[in-house]
Amino acid sequence: MTGLAPIDGLVVLAILAKAIDYGAALLAIGGVLFSIIFSQRAEASVLRLARQLAVGAALVGLAVLAVRFGIRAARISGMGLDGAIDPMMLGFVWESPLGTAAIWRGMGELAILTVLIPRIGRWIALAGSLAVAISFAQVGHSLGAPRAPLAILLALHLLAAAFWVGALLPLHRAARTPAGGDLLHYFGNAAAFGVAVLIVAGVALAWLLAGSAAALWGTAYGAALLAKVGLVSALLGLAALNKVRLVPAFRVGSPSATTALRRSISIEMLAVVLILLATATLTTVTTPPVNL
Amino acid sequence: MIKQTLLGLAVTVIPMLAAAHSKSEATTPANGATVSDVSELSMRFDDPMRIISVTLISPDGNIDIERETGMDPATEFRAMPVEALEPGSYRFDWRGMASDGHPMQGSFSFTVAE
Repeated sequence: MTGLAPIDGLVVLAILAKAIDYGAALLAIGGVLFSIIFSQRAEASVLRLARQLAVGAALVGLAVLAVRFGIRAARISGMGLDGAIDPMMLGFVWESPLGTAAIWRGMGELAILTVLIPRIGRWIALAGSLAVAISFAQVGHSLGAPRAPLAILLALHLLAAAFWVGALLPLHRAARTPAGGDLLHYFGNAAAFGVAVLIVAGVALAWLLAGSAAALWGTAYGAALLAKVGLVSALLGLAALNKVRLVPAFRVGSPSATTALRRSISIEMLAVVLILLATATLTTVTTPPVNL
Repeated sequence: MIKQTLLGLAVTVIPMLAAAHSKSEATTPANGATVSDVSELSMRFDDPMRIISVTLISPDGNIDIERETGMDPATEFRAMPVEALEPGSYRFDWRGMASDGHPMQGSFSFTVAE
């Protein structure tokens, strides 16, 4: 197995914090997208939940961003946890691309808080969502060549993932009452387009970073990426089941469909958590084959 | 399952030059080499690397070394042992940060013969 960095306690901590950072960013962006895209179709309580979700996730995102600075300072310092508060180490992290990414992500997440302000607020929050998506292209291997395609593909991949992930909780709420049937159906159609963007951008990114399909075998990057793809496939299977079977049954008022649909959405959320952990592992301890 | 996979990955990996961002890394002394004396310890990277902490370890403990390269990112790092190295085995450990922000670490080992 090549291209795997040593793993110690701080690295595990870094992976967990990064997964939370990813999750918070996706929920914050997704909550904003949901409240804009479905503003005419979703009930007021569902829209309120989406906005609250965006704000809560943005606050968690801001807090975990600060924690990640400390963890990274500790990792580079060689001093263990003491390095997390060492001004010089924190300065090095601030000067690094993570500092640039943190400015974009932090400003974006602050802007997302305005989603609670009627009318104008959601457009500021939408601009914030774009800033958060762009922030991910300011750090790590997306800085490599070709820079522009990598950045655009990554931002699109994240926006599509956020649209899906951020919708799960509001849809779970909507599936409580029969009135949510139309929203679920409409989401299924929009998501089919979103999933296409997600997959095309994801495959293109993997292609640029791996260089060849053969490079996926025998490399740590390949193993982690294949684990992620396996989890995403399971999630897509569930989503397809919802769209083709459960949502239509729910719309005609089948009593068992409500429970089945809500359970299926809950399992989707669990799959998302596992995917984020796999992604955080991928981006923390493995090296893309093109850089080996 | 992920946990097991991770654990498996961690176990199967031998301690290595984890300098993922620096494919043409070369060290003096070379990794695994047996040398008669060590006038300098150096590493080359193909991309500037900010080397933050360095340690030279012998079976008797840490050995004092003097850095010639500071903490600014550089493609070549140099340090000197403060005193001539006694015969024995040594390991040089380093930590730092690559120009894309990734924390990096690595090590190389060598033997000083009589």
